[in-house]
Amino acid sequence: MDYVAPETVADACRALDADGSHCLAGGQSLVAMMNLGLATPERLVSLRRITELRGVAPTPDGGLRIGAMTTHAELADLAPDSPAATLLAQAARVVAYPAVRNRGTLGGSIALADPAADYPVALVAIDAVIELVSATGRRNVPAREFFRGMFDTVLTRSEIVAAVRMPRSPEGAGAAYEKLSLVAGDFAILSVAAIAGDDLRVAIGGYAMTPLLVAGLDPAGEVREQAARELARLPAPPGDQRASTGYRRRVAPELVRRAVHAAMRARHA
Amino acid sequence: MRDPDTAARRSPPRLDAADKATGRARYADDIRLPGMLHAAIHTSQQAHARIVACRTDAALALPGVHAIVTGADIAGTRWGGIVKDETMLARDKVRYVGEPIAAVAAIDAATAIRAAAAIEVDYEPLRCVLSPDAALARDAPLVHEGFAAYVKTVDGGGHGNIVFETDVAEGDVDHAFAQCDAIVEGTFETQAQHHVYLETNGCVADVDASGRITLYASCQSVHHAQQRVAEELGEPMARIRVIATRVGGAFGGKHASNLHSIAAWLARAARRPVKLVLSRMQDFEVQRSRHPARIWMKTGARRDGTILARDVRVTLDGGAYADESPAVLAFALLMSRGPYRIPNVRAHGAVVYTNKLRAGSFRGFGNPQATFAGESQIDDLAASLGIDSCELRLRNAMRAGDTAFGGQPVASCIVGDALMRVRDAQRAASPLSPREGTQRGIGFAVMSHISGLMGTSATVQLRTDGSIALATGCVDIGQGADTVMVQMCAELLGVPIERVSYAQQDSDVSPYNWKTAGSRSTYMTGRAVSVATIEMRQRMIDQAAQMMECAAADLELVPGGAVGLVGIPKRVSFKDIALHSLFRSGGPIAATHGFVFDGPGFDPKRASIHRLAFANLGVYTFGAHCVEVDVDTATGAVAVRRAWCAHDVGHAINPVSCEGQIQGGFVQGMGYALTEALHWNDDGWLTTTTLADYKIPGALDVPPDIHAIVLEDPEPSHPLGAKGIGEPSLVGAAPAIANAIRAATGVRLTTLPMTPERVLDALETR
Amino acid sequence: MREHNVRCTLNVNATMRDTLVRVDATLLEVLRENLDLTGTKRGCNHGVCGACNVLLDGTLVRSCLMLAVDVGERAIVTVEAVAGARPFSDVQRALIDAGAIQCGFCTPGFVMALTALFAHDPRPTRAAIRAAISGNLCRCSGYVKIVEAAERLAGVAP
Repeated sequence: MDYVAPETVADACRALDADGSHCLAGGQSLVAMMNLGLATPERLVSLRRITELRGVAPTPDGGLRIGAMTTHAELADLAPDSPAATLLAQAARVVAYPAVRNRGTLGGSIALADPAADYPVALVAIDAVIELVSATGRRNVPAREFFRGMFDTVLTRSEIVAAVRMPRSPEGAGAAYEKLSLVAGDFAILSVAAIAGDDLRVAIGGYAMTPLLVAGLDPAGEVREQAARELARLPAPPGDQRASTGYRRRVAPELVRRAVHAAMRARHA
Repeated sequence: MRDPDTAARRSPPRLDAADKATGRARYADDIRLPGMLHAAIHTSQQAHARIVACRTDAALALPGVHAIVTGADIAGTRWGGIVKDETMLARDKVRYVGEPIAAVAAIDAATAIRAAAAIEVDYEPLRCVLSPDAALARDAPLVHEGFAAYVKTVDGGGHGNIVFETDVAEGDVDHAFAQCDAIVEGTFETQAQHHVYLETNGCVADVDASGRITLYASCQSVHHAQQRVAEELGEPMARIRVIATRVGGAFGGKHASNLHSIAAWLARAARRPVKLVLSRMQDFEVQRSRHPARIWMKTGARRDGTILARDVRVTLDGGAYADESPAVLAFALLMSRGPYRIPNVRAHGAVVYTNKLRAGSFRGFGNPQATFAGESQIDDLAASLGIDSCELRLRNAMRAGDTAFGGQPVASCIVGDALMRVRDAQRAASPLSPREGTQRGIGFAVMSHISGLMGTSATVQLRTDGSIALATGCVDIGQGADTVMVQMCAELLGVPIERVSYAQQDSDVSPYNWKTAGSRSTYMTGRAVSVATIEMRQRMIDQAAQMMECAAADLELVPGGAVGLVGIPKRVSFKDIALHSLFRSGGPIAATHGFVFDGPGFDPKRASIHRLAFANLGVYTFGAHCVEVDVDTATGAVAVRRAWCAHDVGHAINPVSCEGQIQGGFVQGMGYALTEALHWNDDGWLTTTTLADYKIPGALDVPPDIHAIVLEDPEPSHPLGAKGIGEPSLVGAAPAIANAIRAATGVRLTTLPMTPERVLDALETR
Repeated sequence: MREHNVRCTLNVNATMRDTLVRVDATLLEVLRENLDLTGTKRGCNHGVCGACNVLLDGTLVRSCLMLAVDVGERAIVTVEAVAGARPFSDVQRALIDAGAIQCGFCTPGFVMALTALFAHDPRPTRAAIRAAISGNLCRCSGYVKIVEAAERLAGVAP
């Protein structure tokens, strides 16, 4: 196996443009898979020296741009200046365990696109935009289009996630992230991210292989019933070792209700 | 009243704590020997299949491979606790996915793994059976066609896929049920739990120029491991030496294993040391689990709450090899009456072979399964009678002087006190504020266990400087046995514990001990230590009498390490005594004591016992739990908010260690109750093979307050009154939680683990 | 190609250590096999149990999930070095005295997690303690005495 640690994005992308090449960001998923014999990359392209991928900075339009190599620990400490930042911080805080949060990255997590992960749901609710970069250029993809399926995204072989852009949040909106798991620190059985401003954006994870927006919710009404009706239109959720299809279907509306309720409570004038 | 300053009353820090805290403690994987090779195992990819061919050429051809062993190389000696059905490696067929077929020793771990993967096995798949129901179906394939020819040290009547059947009965159950005003009946199902010791199974086998093996093993008994390795290698035990490493947890999953023999075989073949440490995945797949069980139980009482009868049928899923199954079955049946004075009890059980990982010894040993059923049913019986469940328990609780199920007299029993202690502690505690969306319930369970079993011994010697050398064969698996042995010896000699050294367990020199299991170490080996120490103390006094030219009866032990005249300030130190014995007269002063458990035994006039795998056991211990849970009625999630666990330990040699065992056992029981389960797919592959799939409780999943209440009702047959505590607290956790869920929501869950999904299912159908 | 060894210089316990490693070797493996620092333990090798915790530039990380070649110049501290010149650090002493150590296999990982916590916050609350050790599995103790040890160190518990 080869290992390279380029200093520029362009070099990294060029190195990735070969069979068997794999990005190494925080390593919290990849190295675990390598240790279990589930991944055998021919070449690892470490992103740790690329300063361009780091840093959190406000954008001119009042949003936030978060570098792909930002760790979960750094995100957990994001100042709650906006509902989007609050939501992302809440999600970051419940990823795995402290030691994993110190190394795992936003970019690594979303590039992996595990259906049971925490960020994808939050980013879809936030309506974030994923900045992708390759040796030849850049492109921006809305979060809701970035995730295609289980461990599947729109990333091409030689593209990496450069940053995540969060739009300016509605004034005074409230945000909440609800995660249901068997034990603390585990992957989610289901997770729901909600931002409640003048309108309500709610995304659910674990209900399909990608995060889903739950439309048509009116917080003034019976959110649980509304969510049940909306979700009933969708294909049945997956069944796995953690929970069956039936359990996810029964519990999802309540989780949506809790997230919406919490987001509504978190609003201020 | 004991002097609180004596060594045994205090809880000195454990002897090994400093090394463990600083990373110096040496576990099997920390051992490095010059020229050491690494071993890897090739395991079965089929749940049930004939091995048609096994080719090792490709593996042997890899550079750095030093030795390979397959089933064809071994004599095929069969090993087993009671039914000897297992060979060191699979020979003609494989019986579970993960069964070792071959093993390789190579220059490094990566090469060994590659070589093991390069071994080619051709299988002729056979139909597999993955549950007792499937295994007992009319045309089920036989897991062990040659079963009839296997050696069995106890006749268990096994046939077909039935390994062993046992019956224990007292009184006339059918007649008694006819007198009952209330009868409850139910079937309970429990799962395969895995030990998940933090340190996986491993060992290092060294070999000398003559081929004699020294095995450094993470194990529960050097003598037991030595016996197995000797048998499987076809060597006399004198040619096999086993030394216990520091053990990173065992819980029943690390007694004699074919892994030890495999490492030893490879070392002998390669003429170099060989390290074999299982990965976490392999440890899940290869070794042992707890027996899944189906328990049908029926209990009846009179209107006034007197329980008259209980009928029990237990089916244990034994997996592919018998291992300790007959004994687990025996204990499950013996514990199925619970700590109650029920005069009419009938218990029948069977262990069945299936094509899964062997089920074997695991903290509780059949008792968790039986008590989950029994203590759940007691609550249901109480509800049906309209009596408070604690009240029902207290009315029927055993008392000192009663007999256990099987007829053994029970000299000390404070189960009623234990229950009242936890009930009162919960009532006295400030109420916890309710959590939105949850319903709160309080649940109780009582439990009984044993600590007297099999054989053990201890030796103690006086050193030249008057300090003491203590040795036993009892391996400390993390529960603190080393420290309590030293404490007992030190207390009986009136010296600080620093004056007593404790030898590492080494089969070349350590006096025999069966194994660390059955909560038996403090009682059994501790009793041997105590008696040996008392004997040596007497010899020292006799020596001092000679030195001081007086009668031994005029002398007493002086705290601090001396012997003196009663009432007169004239004494000789232990050092004086030692020097006199070594250089003047008498000879070196030492003592040894060994015994096999000598309790009263089962009473054939009282109990009808048919095919029980135990000859004798006893020294009953008792405990009670009270738990508070919050049930999230929309998700089914159960949170244990607080727990009180009261356990009788006879006499707490190290109270802090007792508390640690109680708390740890309770949490392992919480995992059993709520989240842990091994899963197999339809082809017999274990799908829970990592800690990401198999979830044990973490710090945020356990209540901050698990109150361990250490009760002391001294055991007369132990010089210091001590009994065991290793297992009981796990036993009562699941039923206490199940009862609390029922109290909170009205639903009775009868299947473990009580996952959120199962709880929600029950809530929605109530 | 997999057996390709590279020279790797690691800053471990304030000492520069030069060693030859496989490219896919984890930091855990290199610490234990190449550098004879066996205090850091392998409990699962996939990041869940926490027995492999070390400090990397002062932050708690899983050594089983780091490739040795990816560490660079960052400073690693293992359990062998937390006491400095003393026999025990305060965290180690607290665990010993509280009876929080049973089989001990998880202990180095907890020592590192608590060391990281107390370096950041000398008087953590019970909630902060439980959160700090939420990534460390212990099968023996039920966590109770580990939390008590930390509370005593924080000056909060009896």
